[in-house]
Amino acid sequence: MKVLWSWLLELCDLDKQPTVEEGAKALTRGGLEIEGMTDLGAGFSGVVVAEVVGRKPHPQAEKLTLVDVITEKGGAATQVVCGAPNVPDPGRKVLWAQIGATLPGGMTLAAKPVKGIVSPGMLCAEDELGLGDDHGGIIVLPEDDRTALGAKAQVALGLDDWMLEVNAPANRGDVLGHLGVARELVAMLRGKIVLPDVDLSAFVGGDGAVPMVDIANAASCPRYTARLITKLQVRPSPQRIAQRLRGVGVRPISNLVDVTNYVMFELGQPLHAFDAETLSAGTVRISHAADGEKFTTLDKIHRTLIPGDLVIRDGEKGIALAGVMGGLDTEVTDKTTRVLLESASFQPLLIRRTARRLGLHSEASHRFERGVDPELAQLASDRAARLMCQHGGGEIASRLVDAYPQKRTSPTLTVRMARVRMVGGVPLETSTCRDALERLGFTVGGSGEVLDVTPPSARADVAREVDVIEEILRVVGYEQVPSSLPILRQAPGNRPADRADVVRKALAAAGLSEAITYGFQSVERNGALGLPGSDRRSQPIAVRNPMSIDQAVMRTSLLPNLIAAVTRNASHGRHDVAICEVGSVFLRRGEGSVDRPLHELADEPTWCAGVLSGKRGGQLGAGTAWDAFDAKGYAQIAIRAVAGDVEIKTRATQSVPCFHPGVAGELVVGGHVVGWFGEVHPEVRRRLGVEAPVFAFDLDLTRLRLMDPAQMRSIPRFPGSTRDVSLLLAASMPASRIEEVIAAVGEPLVNQVRLLEDYRDPKLGEGMKSMLWSILYRSPERTLTDVEVDKAHEAIVGRLMENLPAQRR
Amino acid sequence: MSANELIANLDKLGDEFLSVIQPLSDEQAIRAAQAQFLGKKGKVSEVMKELSKLPPADRPLVGAAVNKVKQTIEEQVCRRLGELTALAAKADLARVVDVTLPARPVPQGHLHLLTQVRLEAVQIFSELGFVVADGPQIETDWHTFEALAIPKDHPARDMQDTFYLSEEIVLRTHTSPVQVRTMLTQAPPIRIVAPGHVYRRDDDPTHSPMFTQIEGLAVDEGLSFADLKGVLIHFVSRFFQKELTVRLRPSYFPFVEPGAEVDMQCSFCGGSGCRLCKGTGWVEIGGAGVVDPDVFAHCKIDSEKYTGFAFGMGLERMAMLRHGVNDIKFYYEGDVRFLEQF
Ligand SMILES: [Zn+2]
Repeated sequence: MKVLWSWLLELCDLDKQPTVEEGAKALTRGGLEIEGMTDLGAGFSGVVVAEVVGRKPHPQAEKLTLVDVITEKGGAATQVVCGAPNVPDPGRKVLWAQIGATLPGGMTLAAKPVKGIVSPGMLCAEDELGLGDDHGGIIVLPEDDRTALGAKAQVALGLDDWMLEVNAPANRGDVLGHLGVARELVAMLRGKIVLPDVDLSAFVGGDGAVPMVDIANAASCPRYTARLITKLQVRPSPQRIAQRLRGVGVRPISNLVDVTNYVMFELGQPLHAFDAETLSAGTVRISHAADGEKFTTLDKIHRTLIPGDLVIRDGEKGIALAGVMGGLDTEVTDKTTRVLLESASFQPLLIRRTARRLGLHSEASHRFERGVDPELAQLASDRAARLMCQHGGGEIASRLVDAYPQKRTSPTLTVRMARVRMVGGVPLETSTCRDALERLGFTVGGSGEVLDVTPPSARADVAREVDVIEEILRVVGYEQVPSSLPILRQAPGNRPADRADVVRKALAAAGLSEAITYGFQSVERNGALGLPGSDRRSQPIAVRNPMSIDQAVMRTSLLPNLIAAVTRNASHGRHDVAICEVGSVFLRRGEGSVDRPLHELADEPTWCAGVLSGKRGGQLGAGTAWDAFDAKGYAQIAIRAVAGDVEIKTRATQSVPCFHPGVAGELVVGGHVVGWFGEVHPEVRRRLGVEAPVFAFDLDLTRLRLMDPAQMRSIPRFPGSTRDVSLLLAASMPASRIEEVIAAVGEPLVNQVRLLEDYRDPKLGEGMKSMLWSILYRSPERTLTDVEVDKAHEAIVGRLMENLPAQRR
Repeated sequence: MSANELIANLDKLGDEFLSVIQPLSDEQAIRAAQAQFLGKKGKVSEVMKELSKLPPADRPLVGAAVNKVKQTIEEQVCRRLGELTALAAKADLARVVDVTLPARPVPQGHLHLLTQVRLEAVQIFSELGFVVADGPQIETDWHTFEALAIPKDHPARDMQDTFYLSEEIVLRTHTSPVQVRTMLTQAPPIRIVAPGHVYRRDDDPTHSPMFTQIEGLAVDEGLSFADLKGVLIHFVSRFFQKELTVRLRPSYFPFVEPGAEVDMQCSFCGGSGCRLCKGTGWVEIGGAGVVDPDVFAHCKIDSEKYTGFAFGMGLERMAMLRHGVNDIKFYYEGDVRFLEQF
């Protein structure tokens, strides 16, 4: 909320006059953060208040006037050329931009001839000072203006001021007016509040027609006051009111409307003025809307109401949407002479719901949503009535009608000093706490170790002992709280290492860079993997109110974002990419379609995926292209980081649509498929914008059992012996089949089986290949003899010949 | 042949061997030459055959000469081989490589900066006895708001514009629901840190719709606002590797009372004012406070017996302050030019 420094100072009498910086600092220290400070007069300089002492027509131009001005009583006059039609009579004050003055937009004035006569600067119109769009004439200060001649124009215009941007906490409806902020200033800097002038004695008169007020439900409307003001005349607001409204960001309209806004900003009480001529029933009723009731707000929009909306009525007819917006038919116009002034309070939740439902957020609803003190209604009504009469020539035709079914009383709270000291961790004296609370306007009874504290009615947010403790601490100053390191008792049990971090570290150590991507993505990107409808991952959870279509659904796989990252890197020339991500994917529990409402939490398994594209770096421009076996290698590293030295089996698969049907494998641990690797299906990567081949792996880490601490295996003490066998096989024979046959022999001396060569050549025969396998034989107990090794090896070769269509080469 | 002639021949053989091996420069040829002289059919053996023809009295003299020439030849072989080894070593040392050629790249992976920062933050808090806790990113409205004293329609919900998945299910807007989950399942004493992704409808250079918070919660008998301050000061000083102080500024979060905004002494200028801290000497790093009794009530913890404190910070912000990351979007784009820097 915007507040003006001069306005704040007007509402309080501080022990020591602070500078604006000191004021802002004090407010921030107390919890009203000042987010910005603007010097309202910074738009121009070198413009001074001058008095017109003479005028005559320009000899060369009919529309120009030569104006004599002075900047001190009895001083020498200066002649300024002026083109405005409204040059005033001698004795009135104008604003003279002298030579060297700078105006909004950065222009600096120099002496220049106008139709043959040199003008030392100019007399200013509103638009030239950036105050409005009026270029109809120069600014003439009011007759009763008391600004000294020669003073800065900012002083006369109310621009010698600062606008502070207050970040009001959501629970502090009381600081949404200058009065509330002034209360904070008084508490922080010591002093007292000075209430604005509400003396109405000079304006009492009128016809005695008293409206009736009828509140249907006191819970919805704790207080409603109404007052009739007559014999008003609509005209522009005085400069001071208009300027203050501009200062807080409100466009001045006319005296009557401006006063309601002015008082709202001054006291925090939203007001509404009805044109009393448009009202007929004599009774103002406050009741809930009928379901489907129609109402036209003053923005000319026809609205359909629901029973949750609160309506102000003239008899039965709706005239305002309570706390949100007035009706079109009863709006104050240029012709208005009689005003029914509303000053009321409503239940915050009702106003919030109506404002949200209709998208109608106004200065009034903003305040009512955060709670307006019912005790404020009369003060605000009086203040507005005085200002309307003062500036609109009106009189008060009726006394205040005040429907206030149940007067608001503040609770008295018991505050234990021991609790204050315990929660705050600071040894405060009772007297210090009492003083802090009294500075905030709280009433403090009791003494010694227990205080009876009654907050002022405006502070409905203070309802518990702990709320009072916070008030004490913030007035005393959080900086008074010492710092201590608590003795933290050891937590029972400790969490095992996080599998996600274990994998991140292992993959980074092996050369992959970790990426982190958004948990949501577009429907299109999620669908890029081409998963079948039967796969849970093709049914992502939708975000109801995404900020963009790129964030429409929760990801069900890590791959799309990673493949898209390859595209992004390629777009700025990085074609060699090797990245991984470890994180949650989000899956619906049970069956369901995208449209099925979500009634329960999702499964959030931790997955790990990696993509490789281009080459791994080599020296001097060399480098090897990544391929599916790199992806397999990284997948194995990830699996072993979690599960330890488990057996990982590979099977070719055609059933994973995001991979190339001929270059995809599933990884099996303990009989369960834990993930896949291979070449990303060319269509999938093209959908995600990648031209070059991409190799990937994708693992569900939650399917792996986190290993116990690894146990050391003994280091072999005896040398082993190697025997090779070269086989001629059908080219379609998978390597895993040979491994299976060797394993099935169960020869205990077999220590390691390695494939040294996978050789394909037409010379070998149509559809044939040759494989060279090397087997290491070793015993933990002794050095093996050649005879033993040969015997074991021949048994294995024999089994291979027996079980496979294979020839020994 | 007389004994004297034989001895003269043997001496000549010695000289002859020397002249044979001197030009040879590999071991194999030298060994072949050696065999030519000393082998079974070698030149020395030829001379030995004559030995039996000599009178027995001359034989020891010639025998001694044979041994001498054998010894000479073996010495020469040894010497020549030694020479060759020395030459080879010298030649090897004469090799010159341009060591300014670029290195052969060794695969180098990188943990994401946010992972590094998270691990470090967790490490610092774990030294104070905090253990890691976590919870789902897709959360119930109750855990995210209601249990934290933010009922539906509370104006505080405006502070955190929420992504809804359904009426009752949201993307968590903060890691605070982990507090609730922990307090519902664990009796005090409690001290946890909960790092994790959170989501808010916000998108500009300093806000990302997904970001990472780290939440802390301690519940025990006798914990105070002063303890909160101490823990935060310890954390920032360790994390930024210099003595920094913390300023708590009154603020409003419904689930803490007293509540505070946490400002840290600017790590860049040390508090004298710079561009990073907009001249104030302080930078905002999070929110904190004493756990509100209403939250304890939701979690069935006796607020007369126990007090607690909680704090939350954005890891992107911490990383930004320490590493100068100037746009939050870099964290989430998978741009290797960014990832490989840390
Ligand atoms: Zn700084």
